[in-house]
Amino acid sequence: MLYWEDFSVGQVFEGGPRPVTKEEIIAFAKRFDPQPFHIDEEAASRSIYGGLIASGWHTIGMAMRMLVDAVMSRYAAIPAPGVDEARWKKPVRPGDTLFLRVEILELIPSRSKPDRGVVRSRVTLNNQKGEEVLTLMPVNLYRRRPAAKA
Amino acid sequence: MEYFDDMAVGAVRETAGHTVSRDEIMAFAREFDPQPFHIDEAAAKAGPYGDVIASGWHTAAMMMRLIVDQFAGRVASAGSPGFDNLRWLKPVRPGDTLRVRSTCIEKTPSKSRPNLGSCRFNTEVVNQNDEVVMSLTTIGMYTRRPQ
Repeated sequence: MLYWEDFSVGQVFEGGPRPVTKEEIIAFAKRFDPQPFHIDEEAASRSIYGGLIASGWHTIGMAMRMLVDAVMSRYAAIPAPGVDEARWKKPVRPGDTLFLRVEILELIPSRSKPDRGVVRSRVTLNNQKGEEVLTLMPVNLYRRRPAAKA
Repeated sequence: MEYFDDMAVGAVRETAGHTVSRDEIMAFAREFDPQPFHIDEAAAKAGPYGDVIASGWHTAAMMMRLIVDQFAGRVASAGSPGFDNLRWLKPVRPGDTLRVRSTCIEKTPSKSRPNLGSCRFNTEVVNQNDEVVMSLTTIGMYTRRPQ
């Protein structure tokens, strides 16, 4: 298990490729974002997007899964306080393939809880053309390495 | 239809509620956020929360569904560029009932596209005890009332 101390500023994590299918775009949107351009191919083709696009929350969900696989599953993660900024830069469409990049920006020991530290990072999700589709500025918490027993 | 021109700074809107089940929490997290405190009941029961808690992105997705159910077709929405200052303030647990409260804090006509405007909202997801479990500044684009 890796801890807060094991991160370094400037460190980069990568994830993907993550292919996106039409079926999963529609399935997610039927549950959480049932607007015509996410669930109805016919209506989507007549919309300003010219075809089905993924719910922005689905795009974030896919980014989160890639983050868990690349980072949180290897480090002692604690539920996160939040995200300072999120931007949906381009639509995600059926057949797109997504790639994750995480750059560690800042490491701050917690003042109130000495067993943990804050990690600030910049997360970007790119498609197969190298276009940014999503940027996130998350604030995460990780446990500090337990002190060795004397 | 409610257009950008009809949005009023200070106006508060609230959605209906959704009660989240244990199965929903674990199904979402297995797909998008498979961390032990979301998907492993035994580990979660031994941990600081005493049970599984919803992924923060599941809470955000439920927020979106409540907003769509309440406003789709009634508001001239033209998408969203993103959001700011999201904070998960309290855990969301199986059986919690969530609703969304949103206050328009700023409206700006688009300079580049005269048929659009954007509004910023203080948006809160609250539980059945009226505790704010998540807060964020949402940004919505809306079309202007046709002349």
